[in-house]
Amino acid sequence: MSKPAKKLVIITEKVLLKKVAKVIEAEGATGYTVLETGGKGSRNVRSSGQPSVSDTQSNIKFEILTDTRDMALKISDTVSSKYFEDYSGIAYICDAEVLYAHQFCGPDGC
Amino acid sequence: MDFLSEFLTLFLSKLQSPTLGFLIGGMVIAALNSRLTIPDSIYKFIVFMLLIKVGLSGGIAIREANLAEMLLPALFAVIIGISVVFIARYTLAQLPGVKTLDAIATGGLFGAVSGSTLAAGITLLEGQGIEYEAWSAALYPFMDIPALVTAIVLASVYAGKQKREKYRKNAEAISKGEFSGMQPAAAGGYASEAAVPSGGYPTSDQRSAEGSFSGGTGGGAGAAGMPEDERVKIWPIIKDSLQGSALSALLLGLALGIFTKPDSVYESFFNPGFRGLLSILMLVMGMEAWARLGELRKVGQWYALYAVIAPLLHGCIGFGLGYIAHIVTGFSPGGVVLLSVIAASSSDISGPPTLRAGIPKANPSAYIGSSTAVGTPIALAVCIPFFIGLAQATMGGG
Repeated sequence: MSKPAKKLVIITEKVLLKKVAKVIEAEGATGYTVLETGGKGSRNVRSSGQPSVSDTQSNIKFEILTDTRDMALKISDTVSSKYFEDYSGIAYICDAEVLYAHQFCGPDGC
Repeated sequence: MDFLSEFLTLFLSKLQSPTLGFLIGGMVIAALNSRLTIPDSIYKFIVFMLLIKVGLSGGIAIREANLAEMLLPALFAVIIGISVVFIARYTLAQLPGVKTLDAIATGGLFGAVSGSTLAAGITLLEGQGIEYEAWSAALYPFMDIPALVTAIVLASVYAGKQKREKYRKNAEAISKGEFSGMQPAAAGGYASEAAVPSGGYPTSDQRSAEGSFSGGTGGGAGAAGMPEDERVKIWPIIKDSLQGSALSALLLGLALGIFTKPDSVYESFFNPGFRGLLSILMLVMGMEAWARLGELRKVGQWYALYAVIAPLLHGCIGFGLGYIAHIVTGFSPGGVVLLSVIAASSSDISGPPTLRAGIPKANPSAYIGSSTAVGTPIALAVCIPFFIGLAQATMGGG
């Protein structure tokens, strides 16, 4: 049995990695996945391309599964109000169905 | 006239060194849209190898050196690091269209030191057979950290002043009932470019409005976009730069050089590979410089002008102070060159992330663009040969 959940995706600058991770944990999410990423947005192309002299130019993508939409919104609010005025970043929420996750699934799902 | 012609000959001969050849080669192939890439991890590994070699040789030298000799050059390094930031604050920042915070960040980056430029300088000195105190490499942190700390402190003092100004205006506007026209626009002025205005979120609308305007009583602390405390803590900046990859490697090398006996591994592994690795690094730097040129074009010609002049000016300050140390304590001509070279260099690995975190409102395209695209190539291609030539012409070293 699958468990319904929300997937919050935050794409931002790599320099924020630790700070965003702290926010996610502080809001009580059980975990997150981080990927190196690149692409094009309103701050122009931010490539993960080579060679890059420092991590300042690279981007990361957080994927966070949360039980409730509220928690996802809270994380996204905190991150965006703290950082997105000065750093590039985007956040969005998707519906998800968790099929298996040892930590995440409760007694009534997965 | 003799001095000039001798100097020009020296200068031209330095331009033919492999180090600079690879740098220009990198720029050329990047300009030709070559698909050649050097993986990031290899680039980082090379920087680590070079800095640990520089650190090891420094550490080995410190074991036998008279540390009192180091005091004056170290003091000069601190002075250069700090004054470079102030120079940018009172020259670049005053130019039309240049934002003060961007200028301070640029100054911080130019005041900080580039490990690869230092390594290139050492290679050229060794190639010329010029003697230098191996502990000169240990001057690196004495310039790097003060510059970054000064830039971040100066920037936050400035931002704080701006913010108080903004709140004063907001308070006046609120009392006049002009509230709606004064939505939070951020002191730094980058809000207009922000990918996602904080107001665009369903629930954060309220938050940012609350944050901005309730803060009026508390002197602006805890406002939207800058919830961290108002006062700058210096220790975290120092810690951050010490933890940066470049300084960690250099200091590790120094410590190993001082406390262990790494001579065998130094002779057989780190020293022989040094030049080859450096040439690959220069290739990467050339490609990177070309890639960043486009970004610099967006931020404007004043940065390009600053980035051309600054390395030479800072290097000359370094040379002048080094020359004083040469007269007072017998600091070798090679050491004077190295002091000028680290003064001329601008940080490219650990500086940018520190500044990005420390001065978030500054535009990274401005400072990284001017440093990587113009500053570093000038420091490598012009300043190093220039100062070696100058040292040979004035002090006759080697």
